[in-house]
Amino acid sequence: MNDLLGSLFALLVFPGLAFLSTCALAFDWLDRRVIARMQGRVGPPWFQPLADLIKLLAKEDILPTGANETVAAVLPMVSLASVLTAALYVPVGGRVAASFEGDLIVVLFLLSIPALAYFLAGWVTVGVYSVLGGNRSLLQYFSYEVPFLMALSTPAILNSSWSIAEISARQLTWGLFTLPLGFILALVGLIGKLKRDPLDIPKAKSEVVAGALTEFSGRKLALWHLAMSMQTVVGIFLLVNLFLGGSKAIFLAVPPPLAPVIFGLKALTILVLLSTFSVLYARLRIDQLARLGWRVLAPLALVQILVTVWMGG
Amino acid sequence: MTRVTIPIGPQHPLLKEPLSFLLTVEGEEVMESVLRLGYVHRGIERLCQERTYVQNIPLIERVCGICSHVHTTTYCQGVEALSGLEVPPRGLYLRALMCEMERIHSHLLWLGVLSKNMGFDTIFMYAWRDREIVLDIMEELSGGRVSHAVNVVGGVRIDLDEEHARSILTRFDVLEQQVERALELIEYEPTLMARTQGVGILSPEQVRRYCVVGPVARASGVDIDLRRDLPRPPYDRLEFKVITHPAGDVWARTLVRVRETRESLHLCRQIIAQLPDGPTSVTAKRRVPEGEVVSRSEAPRGEVIYYIRSDDSDKPARLKIRTPTMTALITLPDQLRGATMADVPVVLSGVDLCIACADR
Amino acid sequence: MPRYNWPLLPEILRTLFNRPITVQYPFGPLEMPERYRGRVDIQAEKCRGCGLCVRDCPASALELERVDKETFRLIYHPDRCAYCGQCEESCRFDSIYLTNDFVPGTPHRENLTTVLVDRKPEEGEESGGDDEPA
Repeated sequence: MNDLLGSLFALLVFPGLAFLSTCALAFDWLDRRVIARMQGRVGPPWFQPLADLIKLLAKEDILPTGANETVAAVLPMVSLASVLTAALYVPVGGRVAASFEGDLIVVLFLLSIPALAYFLAGWVTVGVYSVLGGNRSLLQYFSYEVPFLMALSTPAILNSSWSIAEISARQLTWGLFTLPLGFILALVGLIGKLKRDPLDIPKAKSEVVAGALTEFSGRKLALWHLAMSMQTVVGIFLLVNLFLGGSKAIFLAVPPPLAPVIFGLKALTILVLLSTFSVLYARLRIDQLARLGWRVLAPLALVQILVTVWMGG
Repeated sequence: MTRVTIPIGPQHPLLKEPLSFLLTVEGEEVMESVLRLGYVHRGIERLCQERTYVQNIPLIERVCGICSHVHTTTYCQGVEALSGLEVPPRGLYLRALMCEMERIHSHLLWLGVLSKNMGFDTIFMYAWRDREIVLDIMEELSGGRVSHAVNVVGGVRIDLDEEHARSILTRFDVLEQQVERALELIEYEPTLMARTQGVGILSPEQVRRYCVVGPVARASGVDIDLRRDLPRPPYDRLEFKVITHPAGDVWARTLVRVRETRESLHLCRQIIAQLPDGPTSVTAKRRVPEGEVVSRSEAPRGEVIYYIRSDDSDKPARLKIRTPTMTALITLPDQLRGATMADVPVVLSGVDLCIACADR
Repeated sequence: MPRYNWPLLPEILRTLFNRPITVQYPFGPLEMPERYRGRVDIQAEKCRGCGLCVRDCPASALELERVDKETFRLIYHPDRCAYCGQCEESCRFDSIYLTNDFVPGTPHRENLTTVLVDRKPEEGEESGGDDEPA
């Protein structure tokens, strides 16, 4: 009975739905605010993401004729569920809901489900922009995913464990310093995965309107947005655990109550880094991204893996 | 691969004004494109025949929402030539000052639109922030941000005093700094260059065949600029370079336009320094003697032509406007052939779309 | 030749630590320049009812109801006004002018119409109601 309650708590409250959606909205707001300030604007008030979500939930839900309504309704839920499940294995502030040797692989697998769901979403809602956006998202997936996976495997090799909690705990010096290249590659890969500027190719407004989600509206779109924001949060938490030493401070020992604060600060740093990237560059073309992914990122990731193995994992 | 037809417009996030493109794409490659115009045709040319020469000025100002001043300038030039009016030099200088500031504002606006369309929101925000400097100056001078209502037949309505001129010059210094930064960005920013270089190429031959004018022509190495080729006062006394670039792609157009912005700033400074004393306008008669005239001037987008025929009444008998955007628009199907879907926004904004101008 | 890969970074940092340039308009003041062309107003005592402004108005925003030389009304319709300032330019008595007050939105278009001049003869003779407009 206690087990069941514990699992329910983990799924619904911490680090599950309630915690993750709060974080998602907060990160969303902070991201928009930081970008706005970098561009000389004011940015939205703190409740804007919540207001957007509620507005979308209240809106009429329509799909074009010919769209597969069941699949279109299931897809956002599938991506939301997979992100939520992935969140269970990612330690937050030194606490983790579930952990086993090899959960890194599971999390990476779970985090790729939304990308595939996004592609399918483009196909089941029949629209030229949707299909084009879906195709682009798949192409982008093939470009960033390999270097991303390779980059994320380097801390695992270095710390000889495939459990996120273990890697986070075993890091004496942060992965950022031992694997600087891996960190940068993981960051770029994360940008591609989250479809953020400058790699927002599948949803480029001036090219394909809203990409695969063009035909979505109302509750389904709200779920999509929530899933995407949560994916941002989980991705950032993952990077904090793998490359920034989780909730550990750099030189001094941290008293356990302060651990979540340290963790939060690190997560915010990565968020600001992501915001900076999206302000700094123009959107790439899909062929340019493919070239970047296979000619630059993948070889660099390979180099990083070889160096890691040589360093003696 | 199967061919898909993708509509761009009349409603599309890329377009701020209605225009329709039917793109036939194979995967990401554009095979064919069909252009349709006329969504914002307002019948201005016909309407002008129904209204007096005085009433036409605010109407003509609304041909274009960006280069409004140069349209009324060209129109007034024509009417003045028909009625044999001599505009006092101070009036001509102030007209030219507004023209050059309008060029700055138009080019910065264009830089913003291009950046926005290739997903570079930051440059968009910065360009429009810097454009605000010149918009503020124009608002203080004329009372309007984009519809200036400065021209009257026979001169200008506005005047510039010493103190105001000094404050304008200090703000120009800030603007110049920002334009220099933008230039550096265009010459070095890797993603911007990757997106614009080799995209939407127009050869000098194509430019001549389609009669393309303005910065698009100059970016293809065709050295035309009415300010130099048909020097009217005060341009005959001002020093400026005509910017050209041989590349012919969108990147060259960016470079040409931003360098022109810098030239325009220099021109504005010279105009303020040389501003002659005297009246700003002469009184014009309401009736214009019979005759016909072709009036041309260099708008931010290129050469704008007005043809006016008068019949000794207070209304024009015929008025024809040729806007520079029209010439650039018809090259778009050529530029788009073989481009990818991602290039479409860049190519479309590269020619500086002003659909209201083209449709009139 | 790219000198470095992030030429925008200095400007971004500069902007980040400066105040945003957005004007918080409805929540803060908005100063219009002196010459801003806003709502049309008139120095009624100078108006002679010559109708030049009405004749030159490109948007038919001005209307003159004239009974005789001494009795007339000048009516202004801001909803039609193009704020071009032609009336100010045309006026020979420096009577009509543009203020720098920009007209805020209204849900009732008909309330916008204002009577700028309502001239009656000095003797207090009753005006003859609406006659033919000039």
